[in-house]
Amino acid sequence: MILLVRILSGFAVAWLLAMVVSAPAPLLAQAAAVHTQLAARGLPADLTVAVESLAARAGAQGLPWEPLADKAIEGWAKHVPAARIVAAVRVFAGRMGEGRSAVRGAGVAEPDAALIRAAAEALGSGLAQPEIGAVVRAAPRLALAAPALTVAAALRAQGFSSEQAVAVVAESMRGGRTMTQLLDIPQAARAMQLQGMPPGEIGRRILRAPPHGTIMPGVPGMPPGGMLPGGMPPGGMPPPLPRQPIQPPIMLNPMP
Amino acid sequence: MTHDTGSDEMLEAAARAYARGLPELPAALDDRVMAVVRGRPVPAVPRPRHMPNVWRWLVEPKQVRPAFAVPLAAAAALALFFVARQTAPRAASAPAVAAALPADTIYVRFELAAPAARNVALAGSFNSWGEQSIVLARGVGGTWSVTVALPVGEHRYQFVVDGERWVSDPTAHAQVADGFGVTNSVIVVSPRGVVRS
Repeated sequence: MILLVRILSGFAVAWLLAMVVSAPAPLLAQAAAVHTQLAARGLPADLTVAVESLAARAGAQGLPWEPLADKAIEGWAKHVPAARIVAAVRVFAGRMGEGRSAVRGAGVAEPDAALIRAAAEALGSGLAQPEIGAVVRAAPRLALAAPALTVAAALRAQGFSSEQAVAVVAESMRGGRTMTQLLDIPQAARAMQLQGMPPGEIGRRILRAPPHGTIMPGVPGMPPGGMLPGGMPPGGMPPPLPRQPIQPPIMLNPMP
Repeated sequence: MTHDTGSDEMLEAAARAYARGLPELPAALDDRVMAVVRGRPVPAVPRPRHMPNVWRWLVEPKQVRPAFAVPLAAAAALALFFVARQTAPRAASAPAVAAALPADTIYVRFELAAPAARNVALAGSFNSWGEQSIVLARGVGGTWSVTVALPVGEHRYQFVVDGERWVSDPTAHAQVADGFGVTNSVIVVSPRGVVRS
């Protein structure tokens, strides 16, 4: 008893006090931030509570909570039923966990929120964990890993196979492409797709492009060869291109 | 309970008579007793064998004045707060790539041909999917357009036609499932700008 009293004396008491005061601070701050964000968009209380719970669980696991709040807000804006929003948020939380595992497997012990989110979205686009690991390992520096995953996911969504998407991105990085050149790839690939090129040919052309130039091919509204005057469209905006009218609108999300 | 004052007086008188019979104690007795006590060895406190120094430091009685306890607790709380901040995931409300890049901003023009539409808005990850914050202007032939400053990186979006129909952009770089059964359009903004089909 005397020993116990002594343990609780002096510095030990101060330390325990500090623990009580400060330990829950990040979690409390996170809960408040989630609540504020969701309430500001008018989400109902029961949905807010469910998303807060998932966000708290993600936060406790060291995963970012902001993508979960964003996903809930997106679903609410699209008039998606609450149960489906919660399911989508739960799925994305699971993907973040899987994505982090894949990134850790590639040697990044503590990936930041941006990289975890990019890995989760790459998983959602159809890339598998080993392919995510391959992209991350090919990044010459960590700052390139998240953009590389985003580009690989975009290529996958354009119809490239996972192997092709990973190969184009990984080889581009090994060939010394900059982040800007990497981010040019989805639009270049899309433009070449519209010219009728298959993914394999597109990949070869992207990898054959000179390392320090633009990889944009000759597309309508751009100079032949793809090299833009000054390397940038005037004002950052390309000239408007001819477009087809959209199909008759379809009720994608019937109002509840 | 009643208070008997007569009994109290009798007790006090008996106590005074008893004290008068006791021998007078010398004034230096207290000092002599304390000198003997200080000279004796302090009884050993049982403690674990493996980390005697740490254990002794932890359990050793210390005088902590209230004036020092508060700053001490505050300092420990601050230290824990910074440790927690370093271990907690960082906030990233912007899209993944945008968060990893310098804050370059590129003007991007969005267009949608919808001759029958009464109004068209743009909702996406860049405006928290606000249905009315970015409104497109109607142009010749029913083509709606707007130019938006976007950070470099990937953005997901849809057009909102007449406030209720969410429509994908056929000119986007890609279309991805949104998790709710439809697709989001994806645009990857490069520092060099954006070219779409």
